[in-house]
Amino acid sequence: MTAATVSLELREIVQEYPGREGGVLRVINGVSLHFDRPGINMLLGPSGCGKSTLLHMMGGVRPIGVKTPTAGEVLIDGTPCHGAHDDVVMVFQRYANRPDLDVWNNVAFPFRLAHWRKRVPEAEWKARVDAMIDAVGLGAHRHHLPSQLSGGQNQRVALARALVLRPRVLLMDEPFGALDAQTRGEMQTLLVELHERHPCLVIFVTHDVTEALLLGDRVIVLSTQPAVVADDFSILEPRPRSAAWQRSSEAVRMEERILDRLHSRSGGPGSVVVTI
Amino acid sequence: MPCAEPLDARGRAGSLTGIAMAAADKHWNPYALLPARTTRMLGVGAVVTVLVLWAVVTGFGWIGPNKLPAPWQVAKAFAYLAWDGENQRSLLWNATLWSVGRVLAAGALVIAIGIPVGVLMGASPRVNATLSPLVDPFRSAPVVALLPIMVMWFGIGEWMKILFLYAGSVVYLIPMVRDAVRAVPQSYWIGARDLGATPWEAVRHAVLPLAMPRIADAVIVAVSVMWTYITVAEYVNAREGLGQLIQNARRFSAMDQVFAGIIVIIAFALLTYHFMRWIKGRLYPWETRV
Repeated sequence: MTAATVSLELREIVQEYPGREGGVLRVINGVSLHFDRPGINMLLGPSGCGKSTLLHMMGGVRPIGVKTPTAGEVLIDGTPCHGAHDDVVMVFQRYANRPDLDVWNNVAFPFRLAHWRKRVPEAEWKARVDAMIDAVGLGAHRHHLPSQLSGGQNQRVALARALVLRPRVLLMDEPFGALDAQTRGEMQTLLVELHERHPCLVIFVTHDVTEALLLGDRVIVLSTQPAVVADDFSILEPRPRSAAWQRSSEAVRMEERILDRLHSRSGGPGSVVVTI
Repeated sequence: MPCAEPLDARGRAGSLTGIAMAAADKHWNPYALLPARTTRMLGVGAVVTVLVLWAVVTGFGWIGPNKLPAPWQVAKAFAYLAWDGENQRSLLWNATLWSVGRVLAAGALVIAIGIPVGVLMGASPRVNATLSPLVDPFRSAPVVALLPIMVMWFGIGEWMKILFLYAGSVVYLIPMVRDAVRAVPQSYWIGARDLGATPWEAVRHAVLPLAMPRIADAVIVAVSVMWTYITVAEYVNAREGLGQLIQNARRFSAMDQVFAGIIVIIAFALLTYHFMRWIKGRLYPWETRV
């Protein structure tokens, strides 16, 4: 399957919040990034560095009462974008499944909205929902309620709900952060599989160096607050990446490089974790 | 020592026997689960104790029947009210139908007006800022004192009684509905907006469904409040109704009938309460498992 072309650009993004005592708290300090092809992009940084803020900006989720971004622009296909965008869908750590709807209806949720009903014929979206539920491995659970599912299965529902819209850009905000190690591994495998079948531009926020090396085609490292791009490099190793590769000198060098960049500007809040 | 205790419906840890609890922890331990049998025995025991005390103080004539009628006198009054053989009628049945009808009518009004207003207030801080000074203070208003005003405005007919019940309970319902809506985590709203929902669609499809169980709780409270106000509502110019029945009996110093009437009202309030709880459980079976 050939992937839809896409261009998503962050141009000189600055974000400031009103600080205490009338001051200004600068969270993001001139971040420019360009994504122009499908692939998994890992946005890595210490917690509290503003990586979620950046991701929300790309997803059109803007806080109320604060100008976002303070300066700079988000461009999708070259056009400035200020709100939610059809081609950009987010997956959150809190999966926000409707507890009163079964798996099928949760995945079909976007088609309750006039916006998508107008655009996709009923027969087509129903077929898409069925296919997507199978794709995330919940075929046997389509009539179960979220309360009858595990955390990982609930996150699968959220992933299916996002992908059923066939977005060109998928934004993931630490989606597996709340899962236990084994489930997280399964979800990472699932994401790689789904991306193989339906390649799109994935921007994946994490504070887990190991996860970044396991999934990323490209790894972008943000510094501590105020965030700047501290590093930006590609990983050419094909997925799925074996445990042997993860222990290889190449991977270890990358890990050291990331940690080095993260620690180069100490004094800020937060830290990164390495899980192996 | 196991640390992962299964949680029950209320989110409390299950049997705490796994944690080394001494027998001394039986008391003053808010998390201890009482066996169903103990719960029942303690409850029944308390009621029986009061009944026995009641029978003793009245049976020995320590308190006169014009102050406190004996249980058997109340039972006799109840039987009379339930079926008056002399006149071939059931005062109680008639009165109950009228009172239930008024509560139903007021309940329908409360649901039809109170829920939409509460939802709008919960969904929009602007609407809330506008309406909350007009609604919230009335929670502590002396509702009984409203009665003369209601009479002035709506006369002494049926509407006055229904509107009084409505006014007395809607001031509790609206803030509860608003809080129910606002208690839904923002992530649901953001998630729906990101998927292309209009703000109202996000409220309608993502926030409201999650608020429904608590809105149902608000309705249950509102109807319970109505049962406590029914006597007041039927104070003025009621020819039928449980409240009127009590008023009437009081006028003739028939304390046994007053007691019988009060017991019937409590019984009906309990009945409606449990019935509504049951309906709520059927409508929102997922609620306790979120």
